[in-house]
Amino acid sequence: MATTFWSSFREEARKVYIKVFQNSWPIWLASIFLAILALMIFLWDSMWGITGGFRNWGDNFFYMIGLYSERPIEPWMSNMSMSNIGLVLGALAAALLAGQFKLRGSSWYEYFKGLGGGVLMGIGAAIAAGCNIGGFYNAIGMFSMGGYAMMIGLGIGAYIGLRILIWEMMNVPQQFTAAPPSREMPGKAIVNWGKLSPYAGGLILVLILAAFYLYSVQGETVIGGLLFFGTLIGITMQRARLCFARAFREPFMTGDAEMVRAIALSLLIYGMGSAVIKYNWIQPETMGVFHPFWLGSLLGGIIFGIGMLLAGGCGSGSLWRAGEGHIKLIIAVASFSLSNSLGFAFLERIEIRDWLGSGVFMPEVFGWPVALAVFVIIPVAWALWAIWNEKSEKFVIF
Amino acid sequence: MDISTINADKVVDTSGLSCPMPLLKTKKAIKELASGQVLQVIGTDPGSKNDIPEFGNKDGNEFLGMQDTDDGKTNYYIKKG
Repeated sequence: MATTFWSSFREEARKVYIKVFQNSWPIWLASIFLAILALMIFLWDSMWGITGGFRNWGDNFFYMIGLYSERPIEPWMSNMSMSNIGLVLGALAAALLAGQFKLRGSSWYEYFKGLGGGVLMGIGAAIAAGCNIGGFYNAIGMFSMGGYAMMIGLGIGAYIGLRILIWEMMNVPQQFTAAPPSREMPGKAIVNWGKLSPYAGGLILVLILAAFYLYSVQGETVIGGLLFFGTLIGITMQRARLCFARAFREPFMTGDAEMVRAIALSLLIYGMGSAVIKYNWIQPETMGVFHPFWLGSLLGGIIFGIGMLLAGGCGSGSLWRAGEGHIKLIIAVASFSLSNSLGFAFLERIEIRDWLGSGVFMPEVFGWPVALAVFVIIPVAWALWAIWNEKSEKFVIF
Repeated sequence: MDISTINADKVVDTSGLSCPMPLLKTKKAIKELASGQVLQVIGTDPGSKNDIPEFGNKDGNEFLGMQDTDDGKTNYYIKKG
Protein backbone atom coordinates (compact mmCIF):
# COMPACT_ATOMS: atom_id res chain seq x y z
CA MET A 1 0.00 0.00 0.00
CA ALA A 2 2.66 2.42 1.09
CA THR A 3 4.65 1.92 -2.06
CA THR A 4 1.70 2.67 -4.33
CA PHE A 5 1.00 5.81 -2.31
CA TRP A 6 4.57 7.01 -2.76
CA SER A 7 4.75 6.12 -6.38
CA SER A 8 1.52 7.96 -7.14
CA PHE A 9 2.73 10.89 -5.04
CA ARG A 10 5.97 10.96 -7.01
CA GLU A 11 4.05 10.77 -10.22
CA GLU A 12 1.87 13.75 -9.21
CA ALA A 13 4.89 15.74 -8.09
CA ARG A 14 6.56 15.04 -11.41
CA LYS A 15 3.49 16.28 -13.29
CA VAL A 16 3.40 19.50 -11.28
CA TYR A 17 7.11 20.00 -11.83
CA ILE A 18 6.71 19.64 -15.58
CA LYS A 19 3.75 22.03 -15.62
CA VAL A 20 5.38 24.73 -13.52
CA PHE A 21 9.07 24.50 -14.30
CA GLN A 22 9.38 22.89 -17.71
CA ASN A 23 6.41 23.95 -19.81
CA SER A 24 6.19 27.64 -20.58
CA TRP A 25 3.50 29.65 -18.81
CA PRO A 26 0.68 31.34 -20.69
CA ILE A 27 1.66 34.93 -21.42
CA TRP A 28 -1.59 36.41 -20.11
CA LEU A 29 -1.15 34.59 -16.80
CA ALA A 30 2.40 35.85 -16.40
CA SER A 31 1.26 39.39 -17.18
CA ILE A 32 -1.22 39.18 -14.28
CA PHE A 33 1.54 37.87 -11.99
CA LEU A 34 3.76 40.73 -13.10
CA ALA A 35 1.14 43.32 -12.13
CA ILE A 36 0.61 41.72 -8.73
CA LEU A 37 4.35 41.49 -8.04
CA ALA A 38 4.82 45.13 -9.08
CA LEU A 39 2.05 46.09 -6.65
CA MET A 40 3.71 44.04 -3.92
CA ILE A 41 6.93 46.00 -4.46
CA PHE A 42 4.97 49.27 -4.43
CA LEU A 43 3.45 48.33 -1.06
CA TRP A 44 6.65 46.85 0.30
CA ASP A 45 8.91 49.76 -0.50
CA SER A 46 8.32 52.09 -3.44
CA MET A 47 7.79 52.04 -7.20
CA TRP A 48 9.51 49.10 -8.88
CA GLY A 49 12.26 50.16 -11.25
CA ILE A 50 15.16 48.74 -13.17
CA THR A 51 17.19 51.64 -14.52
CA GLY A 52 18.10 52.88 -11.03
CA GLY A 53 19.77 49.55 -10.36
CA PHE A 54 21.67 49.64 -13.66
CA ARG A 55 22.83 53.16 -12.85
CA ASN A 56 23.97 52.03 -9.43
CA TRP A 57 26.17 49.38 -11.06
CA GLY A 58 27.58 51.95 -13.48
CA ASP A 59 28.17 54.47 -10.70
CA ASN A 60 30.05 51.87 -8.69
CA PHE A 61 32.20 50.97 -11.68
CA PHE A 62 33.15 54.59 -12.39
CA TYR A 63 33.82 55.20 -8.71
CA MET A 64 36.11 52.19 -8.63
CA ILE A 65 38.17 53.38 -11.58
CA GLY A 66 38.34 56.84 -10.03
CA LEU A 67 36.14 58.80 -12.44
CA TYR A 68 33.54 59.71 -9.82
CA SER A 69 34.64 61.17 -6.51
CA GLU A 70 31.41 60.59 -4.62
CA ARG A 71 30.97 57.11 -3.24
CA PRO A 72 27.72 55.50 -4.46
CA ILE A 73 25.68 53.05 -2.38
CA GLU A 74 27.05 49.52 -2.57
CA PRO A 75 25.12 47.36 -5.05
CA TRP A 76 24.05 44.98 -2.28
CA MET A 77 22.52 47.87 -0.31
CA SER A 78 20.77 49.65 -3.19
CA ASN A 79 17.07 48.85 -3.52
CA MET A 80 16.75 48.72 -7.32
CA SER A 81 20.09 46.99 -7.71
CA MET A 82 18.88 44.21 -5.43
CA SER A 83 15.59 43.70 -7.25
CA ASN A 84 17.60 43.54 -10.50
CA ILE A 85 19.95 40.95 -9.02
CA GLY A 86 16.85 39.01 -7.95
CA LEU A 87 15.47 39.23 -11.50
CA VAL A 88 18.68 37.81 -13.01
CA LEU A 89 18.93 35.04 -10.41
CA GLY A 90 15.24 34.19 -10.72
CA ALA A 91 15.57 33.87 -14.48
CA LEU A 92 18.75 31.82 -14.04
CA ALA A 93 17.02 29.50 -11.57
CA ALA A 94 13.97 29.14 -13.83
CA ALA A 95 16.15 28.40 -16.86
CA LEU A 96 18.15 25.82 -14.87
CA LEU A 97 14.98 24.16 -13.58
CA ALA A 98 13.71 23.93 -17.13
CA GLY A 99 17.04 22.65 -18.42
CA GLN A 100 17.26 25.71 -20.68
CA PHE A 101 20.32 27.38 -19.24
CA LYS A 102 23.36 27.52 -21.48
CA LEU A 103 25.96 30.17 -22.20
CA ARG A 104 24.76 31.18 -25.62
CA GLY A 105 27.46 32.66 -27.79
CA SER A 106 26.96 34.59 -30.99
CA SER A 107 28.98 36.45 -33.61
CA TRP A 108 31.10 39.54 -32.95
CA TYR A 109 28.64 41.44 -35.05
CA GLU A 110 25.79 40.49 -32.72
CA TYR A 111 27.91 41.34 -29.67
CA PHE A 112 28.51 44.76 -31.18
CA LYS A 113 24.76 45.20 -31.66
CA GLY A 114 24.23 44.23 -28.01
CA LEU A 115 26.83 46.81 -26.99
CA GLY A 116 25.33 49.56 -29.14
CA GLY A 117 21.78 48.69 -28.15
CA GLY A 118 22.76 48.81 -24.49
CA VAL A 119 24.39 52.24 -24.92
CA LEU A 120 21.27 53.63 -26.62
CA MET A 121 19.01 52.14 -23.94
CA GLY A 122 21.18 53.65 -21.22
CA ILE A 123 21.02 57.12 -22.79
CA GLY A 124 17.31 56.84 -23.53
CA ALA A 125 16.57 55.73 -19.98
CA ALA A 126 18.66 58.61 -18.61
CA ILE A 127 16.64 61.14 -20.62
CA ALA A 128 13.25 59.54 -19.88
CA ALA A 129 14.19 58.88 -16.21
CA GLY A 130 13.40 55.20 -16.60
CA CYS A 131 13.40 52.27 -19.01
CA ASN A 132 10.38 50.41 -20.35
CA ILE A 133 9.64 49.40 -16.76
CA GLY A 134 10.28 52.58 -14.76
CA GLY A 135 9.51 55.05 -17.54
CA PHE A 136 6.57 53.35 -19.24
CA TYR A 137 4.98 50.45 -17.35
CA ASN A 138 5.34 51.89 -13.86
CA ALA A 139 4.82 55.47 -14.97
CA ILE A 140 1.40 54.61 -16.40
CA GLY A 141 0.61 52.49 -13.37
CA MET A 142 1.59 55.37 -11.07
CA PHE A 143 -0.55 57.85 -13.09
CA SER A 144 2.50 59.81 -14.17
CA MET A 145 1.76 61.42 -17.51
CA GLY A 146 5.29 60.84 -18.82
CA GLY A 147 4.42 57.15 -19.21
CA TYR A 148 2.14 57.91 -22.17
CA ALA A 149 4.76 60.11 -23.84
CA MET A 150 7.29 57.31 -23.45
CA MET A 151 4.79 54.79 -24.83
CA ILE A 152 4.57 56.84 -28.04
CA GLY A 153 8.35 57.20 -28.06
CA LEU A 154 8.88 53.46 -27.63
CA GLY A 155 6.52 52.81 -30.54
CA ILE A 156 8.41 55.21 -32.81
CA GLY A 157 11.75 53.83 -31.63
CA ALA A 158 10.69 50.22 -32.21
CA TYR A 159 9.57 51.15 -35.74
CA ILE A 160 12.92 52.80 -36.54
CA GLY A 161 14.82 49.94 -34.90
CA LEU A 162 12.94 47.34 -36.94
CA ARG A 163 13.71 49.29 -40.12
CA ILE A 164 17.39 49.12 -39.19
CA LEU A 165 17.21 45.34 -38.59
CA ILE A 166 15.47 44.79 -41.91
CA TRP A 167 18.04 46.94 -43.70
CA GLU A 168 20.80 44.94 -42.00
CA MET A 169 19.25 41.63 -43.06
CA MET A 170 19.10 42.77 -46.68
CA ASN A 171 22.50 44.45 -46.91
CA VAL A 172 25.02 43.12 -44.40
CA PRO A 173 26.73 39.98 -45.72
CA GLN A 174 25.84 36.75 -43.91
CA GLN A 175 29.40 35.95 -42.88
CA PHE A 176 29.49 38.98 -40.55
CA THR A 177 26.20 38.30 -38.84
CA ALA A 178 26.23 34.52 -38.59
CA ALA A 179 27.66 32.92 -35.48
CA PRO A 180 30.82 30.83 -35.85
CA PRO A 181 30.08 27.11 -35.92
CA SER A 182 29.56 25.77 -32.43
CA ARG A 183 32.64 24.19 -30.91
CA GLU A 184 30.63 21.93 -28.71
CA MET A 185 31.36 18.23 -28.96
CA PRO A 186 28.22 16.26 -28.38
CA GLY A 187 28.51 13.39 -25.94
CA LYS A 188 31.85 14.39 -24.45
CA ALA A 189 30.64 16.05 -21.24
CA ILE A 190 32.31 14.76 -18.08
CA VAL A 191 29.25 15.25 -15.86
CA ASN A 192 25.72 14.87 -17.04
CA TRP A 193 24.82 18.54 -16.73
CA GLY A 194 21.26 18.00 -17.90
CA LYS A 195 20.51 15.90 -14.82
CA LEU A 196 22.20 18.29 -12.39
CA SER A 197 20.76 21.50 -13.77
CA PRO A 198 17.37 21.35 -12.00
CA TYR A 199 19.11 20.81 -8.64
CA ALA A 200 21.32 23.83 -9.30
CA GLY A 201 18.18 25.87 -10.01
CA GLY A 202 16.56 24.70 -6.80
CA LEU A 203 19.72 25.51 -4.86
CA ILE A 204 19.65 29.11 -6.13
CA LEU A 205 16.10 29.53 -4.86
CA VAL A 206 17.10 28.16 -1.46
CA LEU A 207 20.05 30.56 -1.35
CA ILE A 208 17.71 33.49 -2.15
CA LEU A 209 15.58 32.58 0.85
CA ALA A 210 18.72 32.28 2.98
CA ALA A 211 19.83 35.72 1.76
CA PHE A 212 16.44 37.17 2.67
CA TYR A 213 16.85 35.75 6.17
CA LEU A 214 20.35 37.21 6.51
CA TYR A 215 19.19 40.66 5.39
CA SER A 216 16.33 40.41 7.83
CA VAL A 217 18.61 39.55 10.75
CA GLN A 218 20.75 42.57 9.86
CA GLY A 219 17.68 44.80 10.06
CA GLU A 220 17.52 45.25 6.26
CA THR A 221 14.30 43.35 5.64
CA VAL A 222 13.19 45.82 2.96
CA ILE A 223 16.24 45.18 0.80
CA GLY A 224 16.06 41.42 1.33
CA GLY A 225 12.41 41.50 0.30
CA LEU A 226 13.27 43.34 -2.91
CA LEU A 227 15.71 40.56 -3.78
CA PHE A 228 12.92 38.07 -3.14
CA PHE A 229 10.27 39.89 -5.21
CA GLY A 230 12.80 40.49 -7.98
CA THR A 231 13.44 36.74 -8.05
CA LEU A 232 9.73 36.03 -8.44
CA ILE A 233 9.56 38.55 -11.31
CA GLY A 234 12.56 36.90 -12.95
CA ILE A 235 10.94 33.47 -12.76
CA THR A 236 7.65 34.83 -14.11
CA MET A 237 9.25 36.65 -17.02
CA GLN A 238 11.53 33.77 -18.03
CA ARG A 239 8.77 31.15 -17.86
CA ALA A 240 6.47 33.11 -20.14
CA ARG A 241 9.21 34.93 -22.10
CA LEU A 242 7.47 38.17 -21.23
CA CYS A 243 8.98 40.81 -23.43
CA PHE A 244 8.15 44.49 -23.73
CA ALA A 245 10.33 44.89 -26.82
CA ARG A 246 8.12 42.32 -28.46
CA ALA A 247 4.95 44.23 -27.59
CA PHE A 248 6.26 47.30 -29.38
CA ARG A 249 7.93 45.49 -32.25
CA GLU A 250 5.53 42.75 -33.25
CA PRO A 251 2.69 44.95 -34.58
CA PHE A 252 5.17 46.18 -37.21
CA MET A 253 6.89 42.84 -37.80
CA THR A 254 4.48 39.91 -37.83
CA GLY A 255 1.31 41.64 -36.65
CA ASP A 256 1.14 39.32 -33.65
CA ALA A 257 -0.93 41.05 -30.94
CA GLU A 258 -0.52 38.59 -28.07
CA MET A 259 2.16 40.51 -26.17
CA VAL A 260 0.34 43.84 -26.60
CA ARG A 261 -2.82 42.31 -25.14
CA ALA A 262 -0.85 40.85 -22.24
CA ILE A 263 0.97 44.09 -21.39
CA ALA A 264 -2.26 46.10 -21.69
CA LEU A 265 -3.98 43.66 -19.32
CA SER A 266 -1.07 43.87 -16.93
CA LEU A 267 -1.21 47.68 -17.00
CA LEU A 268 -4.91 47.70 -16.20
CA ILE A 269 -4.49 45.47 -13.15
CA TYR A 270 -1.39 47.30 -11.96
CA GLY A 271 -2.93 50.77 -12.30
CA MET A 272 -6.18 49.76 -10.61
CA GLY A 273 -4.21 48.42 -7.67
CA SER A 274 -2.03 51.49 -7.49
CA ALA A 275 -5.12 53.75 -7.69
CA VAL A 276 -6.58 52.05 -4.62
CA ILE A 277 -3.28 52.37 -2.77
CA LYS A 278 -2.72 56.00 -3.74
CA TYR A 279 -6.29 57.17 -3.33
CA ASN A 280 -6.27 55.95 0.25
CA TRP A 281 -2.78 57.30 0.91
CA ILE A 282 -1.40 53.91 1.88
CA GLN A 283 1.57 55.14 -0.10
CA PRO A 284 2.06 58.85 -0.94
CA GLU A 285 0.02 59.99 -3.95
CA THR A 286 2.93 61.28 -5.94
CA MET A 287 5.26 58.37 -5.27
CA GLY A 288 6.83 57.29 -8.53
CA VAL A 289 5.76 60.46 -10.36
CA PHE A 290 8.92 62.07 -11.67
CA HIS A 291 8.95 61.34 -15.41
CA PRO A 292 9.89 64.33 -17.57
CA PHE A 293 6.64 65.05 -19.39
CA TRP A 294 6.65 65.34 -22.26
CA LEU A 295 9.84 65.95 -24.18
CA GLY A 296 12.15 63.88 -22.00
CA SER A 297 9.86 60.86 -21.93
CA LEU A 298 9.15 61.03 -25.65
CA LEU A 299 12.74 61.58 -26.75
CA GLY A 300 14.11 59.06 -24.27
CA GLY A 301 11.47 56.57 -25.41
CA ILE A 302 12.53 56.89 -29.06
CA ILE A 303 16.22 56.37 -28.28
CA PHE A 304 15.43 53.54 -25.88
CA GLY A 305 13.12 51.91 -28.44
CA ILE A 306 15.84 51.81 -31.09
CA GLY A 307 18.28 50.40 -28.55
CA MET A 308 15.96 47.62 -27.38
CA LEU A 309 15.42 46.46 -30.95
CA LEU A 310 19.18 46.31 -31.65
CA ALA A 311 19.95 44.56 -28.35
CA GLY A 312 16.95 42.23 -28.62
CA GLY A 313 15.73 43.00 -25.12
CA CYS A 314 14.54 45.94 -23.05
CA GLY A 315 15.44 46.77 -19.44
CA SER A 316 13.68 43.76 -17.97
CA GLY A 317 14.12 41.55 -21.04
CA SER A 318 17.88 42.07 -21.09
CA LEU A 319 18.08 41.04 -17.45
CA TRP A 320 16.16 37.81 -17.71
CA ARG A 321 17.86 36.86 -20.97
CA ALA A 322 21.23 37.57 -19.35
CA GLY A 323 20.16 35.16 -16.59
CA GLU A 324 19.31 32.60 -19.25
CA GLY A 325 22.87 32.81 -20.55
CA HIS A 326 22.74 34.97 -23.70
CA ILE A 327 26.19 36.58 -23.92
CA LYS A 328 24.87 39.31 -26.23
CA LEU A 329 22.39 40.44 -23.56
CA ILE A 330 25.00 40.23 -20.79
CA ILE A 331 27.00 42.72 -22.87
CA ALA A 332 23.89 44.86 -23.31
CA VAL A 333 23.28 44.94 -19.54
CA ALA A 334 26.88 46.09 -18.97
CA SER A 335 26.80 48.82 -21.61
CA PHE A 336 23.32 49.93 -20.47
CA SER A 337 24.66 50.36 -16.91
CA LEU A 338 27.73 52.31 -17.95
CA SER A 339 26.05 54.59 -20.48
CA ASN A 340 23.13 55.26 -18.16
CA SER A 341 25.46 56.29 -15.36
CA LEU A 342 27.41 58.61 -17.64
CA GLY A 343 24.29 59.92 -19.39
CA PHE A 344 22.62 60.69 -16.09
CA ALA A 345 25.67 62.50 -14.75
CA PHE A 346 25.94 64.47 -17.99
CA LEU A 347 22.29 65.56 -17.88
CA GLU A 348 22.77 66.72 -14.29
CA ARG A 349 25.80 68.75 -15.28
CA ILE A 350 24.37 70.54 -18.30
CA GLU A 351 21.16 71.29 -16.38
CA ILE A 352 18.59 70.66 -19.09
CA ARG A 353 16.25 68.73 -16.82
CA ASP A 354 13.71 71.59 -16.66
CA TRP A 355 13.69 71.83 -20.41
CA LEU A 356 12.94 68.11 -20.80
CA GLY A 357 9.85 68.36 -18.62
CA SER A 358 8.77 67.43 -15.13
CA GLY A 359 6.64 64.84 -13.36
CA VAL A 360 2.90 65.33 -13.88
CA PHE A 361 0.54 63.48 -11.57
CA MET A 362 -2.59 63.07 -13.68
CA PRO A 363 -5.22 62.99 -10.89
CA GLU A 364 -3.81 66.30 -9.65
CA VAL A 365 -4.33 67.92 -13.05
CA PHE A 366 -7.57 66.27 -14.22
CA GLY A 367 -9.03 64.83 -11.03
CA TRP A 368 -9.32 61.10 -10.38
CA PRO A 369 -12.34 60.38 -12.65
CA VAL A 370 -10.74 61.73 -15.84
CA ALA A 371 -7.34 60.33 -14.95
CA LEU A 372 -8.87 56.88 -14.44
CA ALA A 373 -10.85 57.12 -17.68
CA VAL A 374 -7.72 58.01 -19.67
CA PHE A 375 -5.88 55.26 -17.90
CA VAL A 376 -8.45 52.64 -18.91
CA ILE A 377 -9.07 53.91 -22.44
CA ILE A 378 -5.46 54.03 -23.63
CA PRO A 379 -4.36 50.43 -22.88
CA VAL A 380 -7.70 49.11 -24.17
CA ALA A 381 -7.36 51.15 -27.37
CA TRP A 382 -3.78 49.93 -27.76
CA ALA A 383 -4.91 46.30 -27.48
CA LEU A 384 -7.84 46.82 -29.85
CA TRP A 385 -5.57 48.52 -32.39
CA ALA A 386 -3.12 45.59 -32.18
CA ILE A 387 -5.90 43.01 -32.62
CA TRP A 388 -7.28 44.90 -35.62
CA ASN A 389 -3.78 45.17 -37.04
CA GLU A 390 -3.23 41.43 -36.56
CA LYS A 391 -6.01 40.76 -39.04
CA SER A 392 -5.50 43.66 -41.42
CA GLU A 393 -1.68 43.91 -41.17
CA LYS A 394 -2.03 47.59 -41.99
CA PHE A 395 0.98 48.56 -39.90
CA VAL A 396 3.16 45.57 -40.78
CA ILE A 397 6.14 46.96 -42.68
CA PHE A 398 7.85 43.77 -43.71
CA MET B 1 4.11 12.74 -41.01
CA ASP B 2 7.68 11.84 -40.17
CA ILE B 3 9.54 15.10 -40.28
CA SER B 4 12.98 13.51 -40.46
CA THR B 5 12.22 12.50 -44.03
CA ILE B 6 11.39 16.02 -45.19
CA ASN B 7 13.51 17.44 -47.99
CA ALA B 8 13.56 21.19 -47.56
CA ASP B 9 13.63 23.44 -50.60
CA LYS B 10 15.39 26.18 -48.67
CA VAL B 11 17.41 26.22 -45.44
CA VAL B 12 17.90 29.22 -43.15
CA ASP B 13 20.47 28.95 -40.38
CA THR B 14 19.80 31.27 -37.43
CA SER B 15 22.18 29.54 -34.98
CA GLY B 16 23.53 31.95 -32.40
CA LEU B 17 21.01 34.64 -33.26
CA SER B 18 18.50 35.74 -30.68
CA CYS B 19 15.08 37.34 -30.78
CA PRO B 20 13.90 38.86 -33.13
CA MET B 21 16.39 37.86 -35.85
CA PRO B 22 15.34 34.18 -36.23
CA LEU B 23 11.73 35.16 -36.82
CA LEU B 24 12.65 38.03 -39.13
CA LYS B 25 14.82 35.73 -41.26
CA THR B 26 12.09 33.09 -41.30
CA LYS B 27 9.61 35.64 -42.56
CA LYS B 28 11.97 36.79 -45.30
CA ALA B 29 12.67 33.22 -46.40
CA ILE B 30 9.00 32.26 -46.57
CA LYS B 31 8.34 35.23 -48.82
CA GLU B 32 10.92 33.93 -51.28
CA LEU B 33 9.36 30.47 -51.52
CA ALA B 34 6.77 29.30 -54.01
CA SER B 35 3.52 27.77 -52.82
CA GLY B 36 3.97 24.18 -51.63
CA GLN B 37 7.72 24.48 -51.03
CA VAL B 38 9.19 23.65 -47.62
CA LEU B 39 11.46 25.85 -45.54
CA GLN B 40 13.84 24.47 -42.94
CA VAL B 41 14.93 26.84 -40.16
CA ILE B 42 17.83 25.93 -37.89
CA GLY B 43 17.91 27.79 -34.59
CA THR B 44 19.34 27.86 -31.08
CA ASP B 45 17.25 30.58 -29.41
CA PRO B 46 14.83 29.06 -26.86
CA GLY B 47 12.26 31.73 -27.77
CA SER B 48 12.03 30.32 -31.28
CA LYS B 49 10.34 27.19 -29.92
CA ASN B 50 7.24 29.28 -29.26
CA ASP B 51 7.62 31.85 -32.03
CA ILE B 52 8.30 29.80 -35.11
CA PRO B 53 5.50 27.21 -34.73
CA GLU B 54 3.00 29.99 -34.12
CA PHE B 55 4.26 32.12 -36.96
CA GLY B 56 4.52 29.09 -39.25
CA ASN B 57 0.77 28.61 -39.17
CA LYS B 58 -0.03 32.18 -40.15
CA ASP B 59 -1.17 33.39 -43.58
CA GLY B 60 -2.22 29.94 -44.77
CA ASN B 61 1.23 28.41 -44.26
CA GLU B 62 1.60 25.15 -42.41
CA PHE B 63 4.02 24.37 -39.60
CA LEU B 64 5.10 20.77 -40.17
CA GLY B 65 7.06 20.16 -36.99
CA MET B 66 10.31 20.63 -35.12
CA GLN B 67 13.11 18.37 -34.04
CA ASP B 68 16.07 18.85 -31.68
CA THR B 69 19.47 17.76 -32.97
CA ASP B 70 22.34 16.28 -30.99
CA ASP B 71 24.40 19.47 -31.09
CA GLY B 72 21.78 21.54 -29.24
CA LYS B 73 20.06 23.04 -32.25
CA THR B 74 16.47 22.74 -33.38
CA ASN B 75 15.15 22.19 -36.89
CA TYR B 76 11.81 23.70 -37.83
CA TYR B 77 9.86 22.94 -40.98
CA ILE B 78 7.29 25.21 -42.56
CA LYS B 79 5.37 24.58 -45.75
CA LYS B 80 4.29 27.61 -47.70
CA GLY B 81 0.57 27.68 -48.43
